[in-house]
Amino acid sequence: MPTVFVEKDRCKGCTLCVEICPHGVLEMSKEINAKGYFFPFAAKPDECTGCRNCVMVCPDCAIQVEVKGKVSERPKALAEKQVHYCPGCHHGIIHRLVAEAIDSLGIQEKTVGVAPVGCSVLAYDYFNVDMHEASHGRAPAVATGIKRGRPDLIVFSYQGDGDLASIGMAETVHAANRGEKITVIFVNNAIYGMTGGQMAPTTLPGQVATTCPYGRDVNLAGYPIRMSELLKELKTPAYIARVAVYDAKTIVQAKLAIKKAFDYQVKGVCYSFVEVLSTCPTGWGMTPPDASKWVESNMVPYYPLGEFKNPDKGVVKETER
Amino acid sequence: MYQEIVLAGFGGQGVLLIGKLLAYSGMKNGYEVTWLPAYGPEMRGGTCNCTVVISEKPVGSPMSKNPHGLIALNLPSLDKFEDTVRPGGVIVINTSLINRKVKRTDVKVIEVAANELAIECGNAKAGNMVALGAFIEATKIADLEKVKEIVSENFKSKPKLVEVNHKALAKGFEVAKGA
Amino acid sequence: MAKKLMKGCEAIGEAAIQAGCRHFFGYPITPQNEIPEYMSARLPQVGGMFVQAESEVSASNMLYGAAGAGIRCFTSSSSPGISLMQEGISYIAGAELPVVFVNIMRGGPGLGGILPSQSDYFQSTKGGGHGDYRLLCLAPSTVQEAADLVQEAFDLADKYRNPVMILGDGLIGQMMEPVEFKKVINPEDLPEKPWATTGAKGRKPNVINSLYLDPEDLEKHNWKLVKKYEEMAKNEKRWEVFNLDKKADILFVAYGTVARIIKTAIEVLKEKGVNAALFRPITLFPFPGEALEETAAKCKHVFVSELSTGQMIEDVKYHLGKERKVHFYGRVGGMVMTPEELVEETLKIVK
Repeated sequence: MPTVFVEKDRCKGCTLCVEICPHGVLEMSKEINAKGYFFPFAAKPDECTGCRNCVMVCPDCAIQVEVKGKVSERPKALAEKQVHYCPGCHHGIIHRLVAEAIDSLGIQEKTVGVAPVGCSVLAYDYFNVDMHEASHGRAPAVATGIKRGRPDLIVFSYQGDGDLASIGMAETVHAANRGEKITVIFVNNAIYGMTGGQMAPTTLPGQVATTCPYGRDVNLAGYPIRMSELLKELKTPAYIARVAVYDAKTIVQAKLAIKKAFDYQVKGVCYSFVEVLSTCPTGWGMTPPDASKWVESNMVPYYPLGEFKNPDKGVVKETER
Repeated sequence: MYQEIVLAGFGGQGVLLIGKLLAYSGMKNGYEVTWLPAYGPEMRGGTCNCTVVISEKPVGSPMSKNPHGLIALNLPSLDKFEDTVRPGGVIVINTSLINRKVKRTDVKVIEVAANELAIECGNAKAGNMVALGAFIEATKIADLEKVKEIVSENFKSKPKLVEVNHKALAKGFEVAKGA
Repeated sequence: MAKKLMKGCEAIGEAAIQAGCRHFFGYPITPQNEIPEYMSARLPQVGGMFVQAESEVSASNMLYGAAGAGIRCFTSSSSPGISLMQEGISYIAGAELPVVFVNIMRGGPGLGGILPSQSDYFQSTKGGGHGDYRLLCLAPSTVQEAADLVQEAFDLADKYRNPVMILGDGLIGQMMEPVEFKKVINPEDLPEKPWATTGAKGRKPNVINSLYLDPEDLEKHNWKLVKKYEEMAKNEKRWEVFNLDKKADILFVAYGTVARIIKTAIEVLKEKGVNAALFRPITLFPFPGEALEETAAKCKHVFVSELSTGQMIEDVKYHLGKERKVHFYGRVGGMVMTPEELVEETLKIVK
């Protein structure tokens, strides 16, 4: 029978694992851990089928599951250090997927990551690879310098929406247009998290943020920028996809897309860009499960998921997605 | 009149708010005041504190190394600030979340079970007000009725909270009186 | 208007509105987000315009455009963001446009940290961007003074057609103190700016420009700017002398937040029998050097303290001369000195 292990003091009580479990195995405890959070435990251990959805969704890597003597493991490219993100923030899930891609391609020792300015500013502490901290928005330029200087390295940038689509728009577009053989992981949560919830270039129409307290007015701020669609129009070949991580199915799709993006770089094929729709429970003022649902109900309709460009096929038509 | 007060607890316990109420009441009494929050990313979901200075003369440093008063709403706050309080000062602790005694013997200590008393008053979140009520009684730094007035102004748009917070303030005041 | 308890950042925002400013262009950065947030809520209420730019580079160029069109406008940012604004600031200084900038300084270099610092003194007082230019630079020490200086900054910017920098730090921005807004200016009552790009109706076209391809013209332009800075030096130097009766054992020289921490230290020193005074420059450019000389002449020791590794001290030394020993105590990286530390350092000096 599969067994669920919860490392309770890593837990931030987001309850995403309880929500994702298809068999109601997990419940939140009545006691609090060392950080002051309630943590999950296997209330109905007999119901566990070993699907490991809880492992995938935990942003803090606090859950492991043993199935037939084999225990799930933390990816090697993910550092032991606990992430600083707010409870339920999807950054932790996305970090894990990036690390898994690096592990599966066996490139940990030749990968260099570029960290942005924003919530993931401390990403340089969370990956077990060489890392370079960039100034706000300039990660693609820094990545270009690394890759042009040492083409044998695998270089990726990890950027949020303010960093990539606002202040770093020029660097983003030009790195893509030059066809830099780098991988860009773009985390879009429609808000500036680190600075306290200001409007982002991807904030949805009418969405309230601290610098659009009356809701985003498209007459003054324009419509949210769809980065994947914008970049796919460049003639230079590229791999461009948009994914999400709000449930088990989308996490698996995201995992595949991120691995593919790195693989294109390993093979020296093209620039690769994966946009990941993400949450900001703190900035949006929602519980983590509600924030995950909000991605599906409010963001996906505006930001459709799928592959937008492929080096083999070129621009992917909507009907083919 | 010159008082430095540190107020500390978990984020979400309302320490910044009761600090502001103290500063407001000082200002209304004609004193010079400052209110300074500790800020930074570690504030999200972590511990949280602010410093209030109330003075006859213009306030110099808005920070305090050795405050005259401390309100500690949780254990990490007491651990961090207990030794900084000046001899003869006042420490109010929230026994609902602090399971040890204050070690200092040269200060006046007021213990209040702020969370439980807040629930008695009708709102679990009013523990900060209970602690503030106790602090006011122990230090005489402000007039309870004046602070109530400020609460009424502050929660103008939420009249339900005014009543609960008034009750919680009075409850803390009363408990401190008996201590 | 009655006194209100306000955060420094909010008081700065409200002061700009009371000064008749209706246009803000900025970009988020800690620890000054409360200013753009305040403006985004307040400006629509008074018929103003708030724009969140895509970057600080862009924000400073939006200001260049708005100020060129004769609009009273301002922005706020913090150290790394102010570095990005230097392009616009240099053009604004070159084209002689009135813009108010607020820098709520944080520790550097690079991304540094987000806690209080005074490490942008050189950048703010010696130019900052490329070219031979200066900003009029004002350093408030209290929230009330921040509000007063912001209001005044707009008039000074107009008077000299020069960018004005308000130099504060994270403490001033985050702290709450009682504030009173002393004057209210209606934007419609502001004087006309005949040089602005308002549409060449019934007059020759106006050009806002900093390009002078003829070196003789550019040289002339540079000397004209210098004349303006000399004029500022003559009229605008501001400072405060605190606790100096006739003579003092020691004179602290400090600005902004550090100066108020020193005021507490001076009280403690009094109890210890040390007679200490404070000289606080309020304008950092033009630097009130003559007043400092005069004050320092009455004091046995001179002691500069900054939240930097030593920047303003260079101006202090320049004015006091090589002969005069100047002591220094700095904290950096977001660490802030306590009055106790300053007392201890002082006792080492006066003993």
